[in-house]
Amino acid sequence: MSKILIVDDSRTSRKILRTLLEEAGHEIVAEAENGQDGVEKYKEFKPEVTTLDITMPVMDGLEALKLIKEFDSSAKVIMVTAAGQQNKMVEAIKVGASEFVTKPFEKDNILKLIEKM
Amino acid sequence: MIDKLLGAYFLEKGKLSPEQIKQIEQVQAQVRVKLGLIAVSEKLMTNEQADEVNRLQSVMDKRFGDIAVEKGYLTEDQVSRLLGLQGNGYLSFVQTVIDNGMMALHEIEEGLIDYQKENGFTASDIDALKSDDPDRIVPLFLPQDIDKYQKEHILGAFRAVTRLICNGACVSKAYKAESMKTNAFASQGLDGEKKASLTFVGEGNNLNAIADKFAGETFEEVDLDSLDAVAEFINCINGMYATKVAPDLNVDMLPPAYKAEACELTGDMIVLPIYIGDKKVELVSTFGQIVNY
Repeated sequence: MSKILIVDDSRTSRKILRTLLEEAGHEIVAEAENGQDGVEKYKEFKPEVTTLDITMPVMDGLEALKLIKEFDSSAKVIMVTAAGQQNKMVEAIKVGASEFVTKPFEKDNILKLIEKM
Repeated sequence: MIDKLLGAYFLEKGKLSPEQIKQIEQVQAQVRVKLGLIAVSEKLMTNEQADEVNRLQSVMDKRFGDIAVEKGYLTEDQVSRLLGLQGNGYLSFVQTVIDNGMMALHEIEEGLIDYQKENGFTASDIDALKSDDPDRIVPLFLPQDIDKYQKEHILGAFRAVTRLICNGACVSKAYKAESMKTNAFASQGLDGEKKASLTFVGEGNNLNAIADKFAGETFEEVDLDSLDAVAEFINCINGMYATKVAPDLNVDMLPPAYKAEACELTGDMIVLPIYIGDKKVELVSTFGQIVNY
């Protein structure tokens, strides 16, 4: 069981992800709806795993990832995005993202990634 | 799709009653069994394999049969046989109408000729309409001078509607507009070499036909929660479009936007009406610019 922070501007995605992860026994310690809020929640809750959407208002996922990694270089972050954002995924991996998943969510895929962390 | 179009045409001409249309739709819904279900019942695929292909369909802009062949679960010949078993919408429409004594075959055929003339369709257009293939059907309803990328964007959106929301969805003639008033919309712009946007609008609670299915819950009204679900659906459509055009175009997806209040969309828009069951929504596409609201 992992303590997880969900960062996504879409309440639909947050809800789907929360349900899926809680059903698998994980604990959602906090949710954030943009990158800036996500960085603050990371510092406050120090989750074991963070899911981070790439396309968000205020501060996008890439910028948030950089700040989270500056704060905690061992942070385990799974980037979340719709298909078609390969360039951003590559950039995220360079910054230190552990994994990435594509929307809409594939339950088995996400759970396997979390277990791997 | 021709079954829905002809049904609406015959209803308008007084040849079929609303009750008869409802009866035909019920029969058609039973006929429209998903290919995966048929493959499992024919013992050509396991439930797990069909579920996997269904999941992949939500992130890949491909048909069930194409993915099943790629994964090695079915051969091309098996897909052809399954499509034959699935049946053709037009033929089952004709059969239902005749079997229930609603119209005679010659009346349907004469009606089809009138429908063809009134809509300016050629004989090959009618063949396309009878095919049940969105890629052949939807272009008939789009402006002739549409850009190829915009056409692909709209086609991809409709394919996603048929795969993820309602496989019996139907369209009517698209139109161009420079402004459009609405009480609710969900939208996402694409930045990059060729800006573009996709927006869904709908009267009353019609947008929930998308939201309910995509989010897997029942929304009581069109509100920010249900519009968020529509916006996420658009996000997935745009992701598949970005993947498809990636070799030629660099596309950057902007954060989705939505409003549940009176507003006006402006831009050089192509508007495609889409019917999901008895709910009408409109798909608003811009290309070379992002819609203003």
